[in-house]
Amino acid sequence: MSIIIISSDSYKTGRQIAERVAKAMGYDYVDREILETVAEKHSTPEAKLMRALDEPPSFMGLSSRLRNQYLAYIQEATLAQLLEDNVVCHGLAAHMYVLGVSHALRVRVLSDPEDLARQMTSEKNIAPEKVKKLIKKQERQSKRWSTDAFHLNETDPANYDLIIGLSQIDPDEAVKTITDTVGYRKFKPMTYSIKCLQDKELASRVRVALLERFPDAKVLADGSTVVVETRALKREKRKRIEAIKGLAGEIKGVGYVEVHVINDIFRQAAESYR
Amino acid sequence: MAIITISRGSYSKGKEVAEKVAARLGYACISREVLLDASDRFDIPEVKLLRAIHDAPSILDRFKHGRQIFIAYIRSALTQRVKKDNVVYHGLAGHLLLKGVPHVLKVRVIVDLADRIEAEMHRDGIGKEEARTLLIKDDQERRKWTQSLYGVDPWDSSLYDLVVHISKLTISDAVDFICQSSSKEQFKTTKAYQQKMDDLAIACQIKAALVDPFFDVAVTSEYGNVLLYTRLSDRQILKLKKRVEALGMDIKGINNLEIHAGVPSPPNAV
Repeated sequence: MSIIIISSDSYKTGRQIAERVAKAMGYDYVDREILETVAEKHSTPEAKLMRALDEPPSFMGLSSRLRNQYLAYIQEATLAQLLEDNVVCHGLAAHMYVLGVSHALRVRVLSDPEDLARQMTSEKNIAPEKVKKLIKKQERQSKRWSTDAFHLNETDPANYDLIIGLSQIDPDEAVKTITDTVGYRKFKPMTYSIKCLQDKELASRVRVALLERFPDAKVLADGSTVVVETRALKREKRKRIEAIKGLAGEIKGVGYVEVHVINDIFRQAAESYR
Repeated sequence: MAIITISRGSYSKGKEVAEKVAARLGYACISREVLLDASDRFDIPEVKLLRAIHDAPSILDRFKHGRQIFIAYIRSALTQRVKKDNVVYHGLAGHLLLKGVPHVLKVRVIVDLADRIEAEMHRDGIGKEEARTLLIKDDQERRKWTQSLYGVDPWDSSLYDLVVHISKLTISDAVDFICQSSSKEQFKTTKAYQQKMDDLAIACQIKAALVDPFFDVAVTSEYGNVLLYTRLSDRQILKLKKRVEALGMDIKGINNLEIHAGVPSPPNAV
């Protein structure tokens, strides 16, 4: 009765381990397959959702706003799946937003550098001498992506309970270590940890509902109470509070909405110069 | 039958983990002993060796090579201890000083900064801010040290086989993981692995004997056949040859000693 979140420096390696852990535990497996449903629900191309999970915003790629929007959709769908419990989740960046939930075991699996180089050479059809550079580039990109999107460094070991390097430890052993660890009492769901996850799930649904009109809104939930923080000019304050309360109030599970409006000093300064 | 290195920050419970692993497996647990050995053998005060392996190098150090000399001494002492096998080393930079030895299980133990601050406050009787400043400074020193000497970040998880975060997981969980992993086939000391370890120990001993004043000499050893790589001038090479001849007598396990001048050293050279 737990959640296992697996992250890796290579999607293929992570998936391989996650699938095996799910099979060994008899848990459900959640991966990027859910993106198809997310894409249908929000009428968004699946490829763009995939890019939001892999690439940091760039001039030629996704804008910061779109990336955040897509990640919010993915977050909403993933958290709904995790609520069902007994789940192994991989490839949906859950290790970045399922924080403070004690029954979630967060594991990072690091591929054997030689295997990773071989994988890349065959997948991307590039010369072996260029692979090292590409791996370094991907590492930098992954750091930038996580700090941009979640203000956390994905490669920081403090964000995981356990990190297993596959250069010496073989995959069977890694799977066994993960399945043994999740059996510890600390990773059993408790009333409080389940509530934490439910709060996160509710907050993610409210955020998605507000995204179109208020993309900067930050949402926190505690039981059925939802707190929304947004920026606006003083004269817009009342209207904005009403609009947010209206939108959030319609979401299932929301009992009370509290809106905190912070004065948007940048817009205020820009308007005073007009 | 394995060698385990446990890397840790200060107040990160790595010492407790190492001691418990050693007790459960019946291994020797070493840390400061290595510095004491090096201090005895090379007649250098322990505090100087500790500074060399802990503090970040200053700009002057880059020209004086004093640090490389001390590290060669420490590495020599460490390999002498570790080659006896069944060892848990929880001193500084074990995973880097024993690089190239295949049956070393490299572990890092981490603890949240808040818990480390609390431990330091409790042990040293100091305030929260002071403890925090000291820990952050200590971490920075270690980061700079590893980056300047080995070009890697000690916080990079890919340097280790296992990183255990002691927060939800406990010290005893970490001990379980380490003991389980060390019993696996790939960490068992085979004849070939022991030979590699012995060769590294010979290379480190020769390096330590030559490093002052020949600090840029690189050494490799394969089944006791030792190669020295250098870019010294012809006159210096004559001096080096004299030193090397004397060494052949002092160090056990050497079959043959050769000097390769003007040849770039291989990446596994000490």
